[in-house]
Amino acid sequence: MNFTSPFALALMAIVFLSLIGQPISLSMLAGSVLYLYMAGLDVGTAAEQILNGMMNSFLLLAIPLFILAAEFMNAGSITDRLILFCNALVGRFRGGMAQVNVVQSIIFASMSGSALADAVGGGKFMQAMMTKDGKYPPAFAAALTAVSATIGPILPPSIPLVVYALVSDTSIGYLFLAGVLPGLLLGAVQMALIAAVSKRRNFPVEMKVPLNRLPGITRQAFPALLMPIILFACLYSGVTTPTEAAAVAAAYALLLAGVFYRSIGASDIYRSLLSAARMTVSIGMLIAGAMALNYVITVENIPKTVSAILTATDLSPVGFLLLVNVILLVLGCLLEGTTILLVILPVLLPTAVALGVDPVHFGVMAVMNVMFGLVTPPYGLLLFMMTKIANVPLSEIVREVMPFLGVMIVALLLVTYVPAISLFLPRMFGYTG
Amino acid sequence: MNAGSWVQRRAENLIAALLGIMFLAFIIQIVFRYFLNLPTGWSTELSLVAWLWLVLLGGALALKESDEIRLDLLVNAVGPRSRRALQAVMCAATVGVLLLAVPGSYKYVTFMKVERSSYLGIRLDYLYSVFVIFLLALVVRYAWLFWQTLRGNDQAGPAQEGAAP
Repeated sequence: MNFTSPFALALMAIVFLSLIGQPISLSMLAGSVLYLYMAGLDVGTAAEQILNGMMNSFLLLAIPLFILAAEFMNAGSITDRLILFCNALVGRFRGGMAQVNVVQSIIFASMSGSALADAVGGGKFMQAMMTKDGKYPPAFAAALTAVSATIGPILPPSIPLVVYALVSDTSIGYLFLAGVLPGLLLGAVQMALIAAVSKRRNFPVEMKVPLNRLPGITRQAFPALLMPIILFACLYSGVTTPTEAAAVAAAYALLLAGVFYRSIGASDIYRSLLSAARMTVSIGMLIAGAMALNYVITVENIPKTVSAILTATDLSPVGFLLLVNVILLVLGCLLEGTTILLVILPVLLPTAVALGVDPVHFGVMAVMNVMFGLVTPPYGLLLFMMTKIANVPLSEIVREVMPFLGVMIVALLLVTYVPAISLFLPRMFGYTG
Repeated sequence: MNAGSWVQRRAENLIAALLGIMFLAFIIQIVFRYFLNLPTGWSTELSLVAWLWLVLLGGALALKESDEIRLDLLVNAVGPRSRRALQAVMCAATVGVLLLAVPGSYKYVTFMKVERSSYLGIRLDYLYSVFVIFLLALVVRYAWLFWQTLRGNDQAGPAQEGAAP
């Protein structure tokens, strides 16, 4: 590689600028501008790529709408009602409140597309429920909320899968279906770990919710439980596009919070809009930066070069996937997930396809990897968020996260090497890959 | 600081409103298409315009330093003096590179005056002008941050850990 070529210099500029604290979105834009300038190309191309890219990607509109739906659910304390419902279901077992945390995440995951929204929504209430009367160590509770939140974007709907659909040109409907079993598997291994340690760590049993109160609690939670069914119907009956389904989700959440539970007012709606808009801007800026950078990567033919190098080494598909897992897990410790999905995956995908790896399977596996990055130090957004919510030092949360990460990696390896886990449902619905 | 925070608050109003518009446009679109059987192309276009402006205006004006997604390993590892030096270099580099992008972007945007959007018929140079605004606003913002850093005004610094959106 020529270290003074415009591309190499642009890459170095991106690394340098992001290391000294420039927002990553701007580093990607800056790198692209520098590349265009040094290569003697039209610098306006960066503007063209971003403006046309943003105006033509209708699918991306699902992102703000799914974020908005989660904000409405959180503002309307729909999440808290779900936790009470889950407690009535699984609270009666040893370590019950910890199991509730996971089950709640699974249910919430089937309504929201963002891990951060999941942790913010249930996090505070869950932390209070788990640490009340010193029942669970605060660090364990915080770690559990963080790891169970990673289920969110693997189960549909999922913002990272929307981003992957954009860069890979795969069907978002099939991607969502492919996430279902891996998401449930992830929940299952977490629950199994809790069950395994709860005797040794002497986790408490919750007070049994009397059976005669069950109908009332269920009735309270029922409209919220309908949400995943409505979403599923919208997505797979072909009635609405995925983007419109996201709008339906937001409208339904608003309806629930405003009319059914009457727990949201005009000022809450404004706050939800603003908070969702902020998160949209954060993700949107990364997407804009990546659109400029991906143009450079395409002009330089990087994906083909990488593919040529990797296929020349006679890598087996199994070896390649293992390599991808390692690369993504390491990058996930350092980089934010959306950036990895937007920039790194398009470079790796052609090789995957050349080796006969299914792009839908590859996407689910990659998103799992990226989600694990949210709970791995030093750069794990969910960890940072939980230190703030739970007021526990990062190092203690990290220690509690490690065993969970262990079983989650087992789940990841299963999903990686048994494509049927992800592809079974899409194939049932007509996916021919 | 006062002018800056006033702009930031108005920008917050604006991005919340843009997201609200996007949401409403979708609801109208779904109701019209599935219940009244009237396809509405304009609503799709309106949402896309709202999305474009939301991201670019929000990114330049409304995002707090703590909302930005950045790597803070190095910045958090060094002492306050070096941190300030790094921030000054970062701001200066940002201003420089963005200024480099302004002429070409301006040329591209004004060149698009010949085209109009498909449904609403708005001249594309108007729609796309947001990109030039985005660049210039960021230049002003980072120039100001540069100046604050040189003056040793640390409250401008982004040194919080874990910028979570």
